[in-house]
Amino acid sequence: MRTKAVESKPTTKADGTEQKSAKNFFGGSGTHKNDVPQDDPTGRLCQWEEDGMTVYRTNARTAPGCHNNCGLLVYVKDGVIDHIEGDPENPHNQGRLCVRCLAAKEVVYHKDRVLYPMKRAREHRGEDKWERITWDEAMDIVYDKMMGIIKEYGAQSIFVHQGTGRDINGYTGIFAHTFGTPNKGMGLLAGQSCYAPRFFSTSLKIGDFFICDYGQFFPQRYDDPRFTPPGCIMVWGNNPLVANSDGSLGHWVVECMKRGSKLLVVDPKLTWLAGKADVWVPLRPGTDTALALGMCRVILEEGLEDKEFIDLWTYGFEEWKAAVEEYTPEKVAEICWIDPKDVVNAARLVGSADSACLQWGVALDHQPSGFTTGMAAFDLLALTGNFEKPGSMVTARPCFGVGETWMSGQDFFEEIPESEWAASEDLRMNDWYGPLRAMAAVAPDEELNALLTGDPYPIKAVWLETCNVTANMGAEVDKIMRGLQGTEFNVTVDLFMTPTAMATADLFLPACTFFERIGLTGHQPYQLGAIQQCIQPLGESKSDMQILMYVMDRFYGSENLPWKDRDNIEGFFDYILRKTPFTYDDMRQRTWAYPPFEYDKMRSGKIRPDGGAGFNTAYGRYNFYVNFMQQFDLNPLAVFDEPYESPVTTPDLYEEYPLILVTGVRKWGLFHSEHRQCPSMRQLHPRATSYLNSKTATKYGVETGDRILIENRYGSCTQHVEIDDCIKDDMLYVDHGWWYPERACDDGTYFGVMEENINRCLPMTPGKTGLGCSYKTQLCKITKVPEDYVVEFPENIKH
Amino acid sequence: MDYGLLIDYKWCCGCHTCEIACQQAHEGYAPTEIGEQGKFGIKLFQIGPFDLGNKKYQYEWLPVPTSFCDLCADRTAKGKLPTCVKHCQDACIKYGPVEELAKELKSDHMALFR
Repeated sequence: MRTKAVESKPTTKADGTEQKSAKNFFGGSGTHKNDVPQDDPTGRLCQWEEDGMTVYRTNARTAPGCHNNCGLLVYVKDGVIDHIEGDPENPHNQGRLCVRCLAAKEVVYHKDRVLYPMKRAREHRGEDKWERITWDEAMDIVYDKMMGIIKEYGAQSIFVHQGTGRDINGYTGIFAHTFGTPNKGMGLLAGQSCYAPRFFSTSLKIGDFFICDYGQFFPQRYDDPRFTPPGCIMVWGNNPLVANSDGSLGHWVVECMKRGSKLLVVDPKLTWLAGKADVWVPLRPGTDTALALGMCRVILEEGLEDKEFIDLWTYGFEEWKAAVEEYTPEKVAEICWIDPKDVVNAARLVGSADSACLQWGVALDHQPSGFTTGMAAFDLLALTGNFEKPGSMVTARPCFGVGETWMSGQDFFEEIPESEWAASEDLRMNDWYGPLRAMAAVAPDEELNALLTGDPYPIKAVWLETCNVTANMGAEVDKIMRGLQGTEFNVTVDLFMTPTAMATADLFLPACTFFERIGLTGHQPYQLGAIQQCIQPLGESKSDMQILMYVMDRFYGSENLPWKDRDNIEGFFDYILRKTPFTYDDMRQRTWAYPPFEYDKMRSGKIRPDGGAGFNTAYGRYNFYVNFMQQFDLNPLAVFDEPYESPVTTPDLYEEYPLILVTGVRKWGLFHSEHRQCPSMRQLHPRATSYLNSKTATKYGVETGDRILIENRYGSCTQHVEIDDCIKDDMLYVDHGWWYPERACDDGTYFGVMEENINRCLPMTPGKTGLGCSYKTQLCKITKVPEDYVVEFPENIKH
Repeated sequence: MDYGLLIDYKWCCGCHTCEIACQQAHEGYAPTEIGEQGKFGIKLFQIGPFDLGNKKYQYEWLPVPTSFCDLCADRTAKGKLPTCVKHCQDACIKYGPVEELAKELKSDHMALFR
C-alpha cells in the first residue's frame, strides 16, 4: 500500500496568495528533534512510595471531561486510587486542583460505568436491551457495518462527532480519516459555535492562533524575568474561573490581578471577576461587536492607539478607521443597553495600559455574528499594539510540533496508508456556507437537515466519540433525536450510558478514564505533558486512542501501521512524538516539557514559514481590512449586526417572549453534561436551574425553588428557579447539559434529558457566515408550573 | 501552640475547592449517594451582591471552618499543609500559629479562625 500525506485544500486569497485551511496551524510543522526544552527535569520523580502507597506524578486530561491538563499526584494503594492531590511542582496549576479532580474517584469507581463492549438490536434503540460482547466482535460489527455503508452509500454518509474539551480532539479526525469520511463534527453544535467562529475569523486577520499571556509559557511562570503581567486583562464573554476554557486555567487571571493587572470585564452578569473589575460593562447579549468598535473609536479620538504597530504591522487601517467612525459612545450605548461612559472608561483602560490581553470566551461565539465578534475584538488588540509582547496576545503553536493533543496536523498521516474507500473532501457537508468550506468544517444545520431528509445525501452512520449530543450541545434536540434514531448504525464511545447512547446507539464501546491509560497532554500549547497510567483499566474499558487503534487495525491491518500492533499503545505515542526530542517513556519520566519560547516573533521572523518579518498573512501584516472576506461576499470590515431575533430586530417576538435567554451557565462541579453521577458534585449542583433577579422574579410571580416552563417558538422545557441578583432585569440564565442518571432510563424522558433540556428552545440556525448561533441571544417567556407538570413530547420520539 | 487559618477573602472566588478537598481528605465526610449533603469541615458563605454606588459592588465569598474541621491533623502531623490550604485555587488560605497569623491580619478583607 502506498502512503500519502493528507493535504489540506489550499484556497486562493483575493490577492492571489495561498490561504491554507485551519488545520495547518496545528502540527505538521517539521522536525523539532533539536528543540531544547526550557525546563530541566533533573530530580523530578514520576513515581515514588509514600505511607504504604505508590504516588504517580501525572497530568490530568480526559475522561472525565475538562479543558485543562493540571499536574496531579495520584496516591494508589493496592492498585486502587486512595486520593488525588494537585502537583505543587507542575507549573501549570502549581499544586492547586479543582473540585472535579479532587473527587474524580467518584467517576472512576462509579457503579454505573459501562465496562464491557455492548450491542443492541437496531429495533430496540431506546430500550435497555443491551448484550455484552467481546472487543473482537465489536470490531467485526464496526467493520462490517461501516464497510457495508461505505460500499452502498459512500464514506461521506458516515459522520464522526466528538465532545469538547477532551484530548480526543486530535484523534477524532483520525477516526474520520479511517472511515474515509470528510464529515467530522462537534456534536451538532449550531454554527460550530465553540471557538471555531473566533478562531477562523481571527486567523484571517492575523494568520495564527493567539492567546493571552499569563506567563504559562515559562516553567518559572510569573517569576520568569521575561514576563510582565498584562497591564489590563479583558475578560470578555466568559467566567474563566469557572469555565477554564481551552487550556487556560482561570486562576491565572487572579494571580495576575495579585501582581497588578487591571481588569475589564465585559459580561451582562455581575460575575465575581466583574465585582473586582476596574471597569465592568454589562452589555446586552449579542452586542459585543458594537462595544469593541466603539472602544476603538474612543481610543482613536483620544490618540491612545499604538501608531508604530499600526504603521509597521497592519494593513487597511485607513478604510477601517473610516468605518469605525459611526460607532460613537452614544450609539454604542444605545445598542448595548449601557451608559456611554462605560464605553469611554473601557476604552481608556485598555488604551492606556502598557499591555492588554483578551481572555475571551464562548459568549462571543454564541451569537449570530459570532464570526465578526472575534474580528472586532482583535481590531481592538491591533489598534493598541497588543500582539507578541509580554502580557499581551502571543502565538500558540503545538509544543514540539505535537498537534494531536488538540487537532491532528498532516504529519500524523505521513505513514498512514491511503484508503481506496475514502470519499472526496469535496463531499464534506458544507455547501451552504463559504467560510465553513474554507475552514473544512461541516455545517451542523445542513447535517440536521440531511439526517431528517436525506438531502443532499443520506447520513447512514454516526460515530459519537464521548459526545452526549442530545443532552449537551445540539440545538433542536427533538429533531436530532429523531434524526439519530433514523440512521442505520450508531456507535457511542463513553464512560456511562448517556441519554444519547440509550436513545440511539447500536454499539457501546467503553472508554476508560485518564487514570487508567497512558497519553499526552497539551490541549493548548504551553507545555507538552505525559499521562501516566496509575491503575489498571476497569473491566475491559480502553482509552479513546486504543479504541482508535483497534478500529484502524480492522480497516488498515496493524502490520501496515507504524505501531504494528493494536495493543502497542506506547508505540502509537512514540509515533506521534517521532519528530520531538522525546519518546513516550522520556515524557512519562519527566511528566512535562516546555518548548523554547520567545516574544516579538514577528520581528525575528519566527512566525512566517518563509522566515521573513511579519505575521503569517499574505502581506505579513494584521488585516484591519480582510480581503479574503470578499470571497464569501461578506464585509471585509467588522461591522455590528443585530441577532436575527432580538428586542431590536423582532420587537413583536420580544413582546411575546420578553426575556433574553442566556444558556450554558458554567458550573464549578460539572463539565457540560458530565459529572451528574457524582454525589459530591450533585451536592453542589442538585438540579437543572434557571436564574433571574428578584425584580424579574417578582414580575413573573416566581420564587427560588419554583418550577417554571420556559418557552419560545422553537420549543419548551422546565427547570427550577433560583433568584440571583447578579443578573440584569428581564434576563433568564439557564443551565445546560442536564440529565439525571439516577432516574430510570425508560420513563420516556431518557433520564430527564427531554424534560429539562434548554436546547429544545434553541434553533440550529447559525449566523450568515454559517458560524455563530443564538445560544446566548434567544428570546423566551416563563410560566410557573406545578411540580407534577408533564412536559410535552413530539410523537416521533421513541420512548 | 494554637494553629489556625487566615483567610484573605478578597481573593476567594467561591470555587468550592476547600469544601470538596476537605471532604475527600476525611473519611465519611463526602456524600455517597445523589441527594445527600456531606459533612463540611469548611463551608462557603456568599456576601452580596451589594451595590455600593458609583459602579462599585461587593460580591464576595468567605470560607468558614466548621466544628468538623480538625485542621487536617493527619496531614499536618506528616508536615503537609491542610488540604484546603494546599488546593485553594486562589491561594487565599494560610495555615500557621495563630499568633503569627494575627500579625498578618492587616486587610479589611481578612478573617482569622482558630
